[in-house]
Amino acid sequence: MIFVITEHKDNKLKSITSEALVLAQRVGQDFGQPITAIVLGSNVSGLVDELKTKQIDRVVVAEHPDLAEYSPDRYVEALKTILGNEKPFLVIAGHTTQGIDFAPRLSVSLRRPLIAGCVDYEKQGDKLLLTRQVFNAKMNIKTGLRGDPPCFATVSPGAFSTDDLKAGGSAEVVSVSLQFSGPVRRKLIERIEAQKGKVDLTAAPIIVAGGRGLKEKDNFKIIFELADSLGASVGASRPVVDSEWLAREYQVGSSGQTVSPKLYFAVGISGAIQHLVGMQTSRCIVAINKDVEAPIFKVAHYGIVDDLFKVVPALTKIFNDLKLG
Amino acid sequence: MKIISCIKPVPDPASRLIINESKTWIKESDLTFVASEADNYSLEEALRLKEKHQGEVVILSMGGDEAARVLRSGLAMGADRGIHLLDPKFKGADEFAAAETLAKAIEKDGGADLVLAGVLSDDLGTGMTGVMLAEFLGYAHATVVIGVEADPAAKTLKVRRELEGGINETVELPFPAVLTIQFGINQPRYASLKGIMAAKKKELKAWSATDLGLSDNLVGKAGAMYEVKELFVPARKSRVEIITGTAEEAAAKLVEKLRKEAKVI
Repeated sequence: MIFVITEHKDNKLKSITSEALVLAQRVGQDFGQPITAIVLGSNVSGLVDELKTKQIDRVVVAEHPDLAEYSPDRYVEALKTILGNEKPFLVIAGHTTQGIDFAPRLSVSLRRPLIAGCVDYEKQGDKLLLTRQVFNAKMNIKTGLRGDPPCFATVSPGAFSTDDLKAGGSAEVVSVSLQFSGPVRRKLIERIEAQKGKVDLTAAPIIVAGGRGLKEKDNFKIIFELADSLGASVGASRPVVDSEWLAREYQVGSSGQTVSPKLYFAVGISGAIQHLVGMQTSRCIVAINKDVEAPIFKVAHYGIVDDLFKVVPALTKIFNDLKLG
Repeated sequence: MKIISCIKPVPDPASRLIINESKTWIKESDLTFVASEADNYSLEEALRLKEKHQGEVVILSMGGDEAARVLRSGLAMGADRGIHLLDPKFKGADEFAAAETLAKAIEKDGGADLVLAGVLSDDLGTGMTGVMLAEFLGYAHATVVIGVEADPAAKTLKVRRELEGGINETVELPFPAVLTIQFGINQPRYASLKGIMAAKKKELKAWSATDLGLSDNLVGKAGAMYEVKELFVPARKSRVEIITGTAEEAAAKLVEKLRKEAKVI
């Protein structure tokens, strides 16, 4: 059995869960393993309905007031109980700030491998080889697991396209009631959502990001104008944020947000590795930069080597005429 | 307040990485190793907490000469003493084996109120080791930390975590705890000349697997939960298509391609 530990917010599945389900469906098909989605939460019937439409075999639901908000202590305890009654082959979570927060504890407490940040896999005989990135995504490693199943994996955001998720299942729904005995050591005090008007870039379909090439803060308005013409969100590279042209929430990259939109404009961004790791899985990348040697062109699909102050307003005009915003 | 800060030596990010002959790792012989970038932020945070609350900062690193070097520079930055996990058997550890070895060393040193590590390393880069360490030690933990407030009298911590999409959360947890520190939480200091001189007199002890009471099958490559079958440079799915013409022409051609070819708008 392959288990996918779902991640959700406001009674909606997060995109990373659909991506994890894609990996599960593929591995499941190759290894003849059925799929179970695990939902931990409180009042999550909407999620169960959503999961039932996917091509999976079972949904295990554990509802408990203690699971209303994510808690590493409760998640580890709940998952140990649920998985303890099963024969898992592979257990998948998202490589997110939630997945990396509990999966390593499960791996240690059950003394089973955890391959984090998976981007691919391979079937070699009856063995599952998981591939993941190393050295800031410059290289990949193919890993061989020690011992028998299960193993744990976190799936890298953007590695598997949600377009590939197969629907049309008739999953059985199993409710489990959990009694917790362990302590809740870590307590949530408050969560500060992104400020109003600010978009979760991780969910944005189109992002227009600006970099140092904009030269000064006031010039950033052409980025906002281009974004408006497309109905896109605005992002920035680290130098922009460090120079306080924009708030840190806009930062894309290893110390900002990791994004994977269908369309990403990198405007005046040279493409330091810290930026590339945060956006290189975008489906279509457009780079606008006057330096043809800029590393951003290595990950871009389309490039315009010219003065961004001429190209960006020209694009904005076309998009405005097309009324895409 | 006793704080242990874990530092991982990694190849200098500026160096060119070459895959070894067996295609299982990079050639390490000619590389310069430095502290993993995120570990500089975590050591700086440890030093600031000590300056505020008194106590001791101990730095811990595993490896050969490269670990000794990052430990010496950590002592020069202001750490009080260092522990060098030095044993050829430690070589080839994955996150799991590394965490178990570090945990044993922390236990042997009498534990800590707070263990800090960088959010992720520049080589393996998955952010697992710190959380695994917490489980081995039985400590509470928090990941991706961008702010720490400690209350040593109450033995509690309030930390701010950075989540996806610009969301932050504040959580409270008790001592002892492991925190993985996010890039940019502070501005790491440089070692002063005085610090470098003072570091020479500071304690730097070395412990082997035997010293830690760890059997050979639990450390290094033997203790790893996975082996690297192959290290490779992933094939790029696409090559950039440079669109030429005047700015207006290029813009028009680009929009056409985004609509008809890439079909993303």
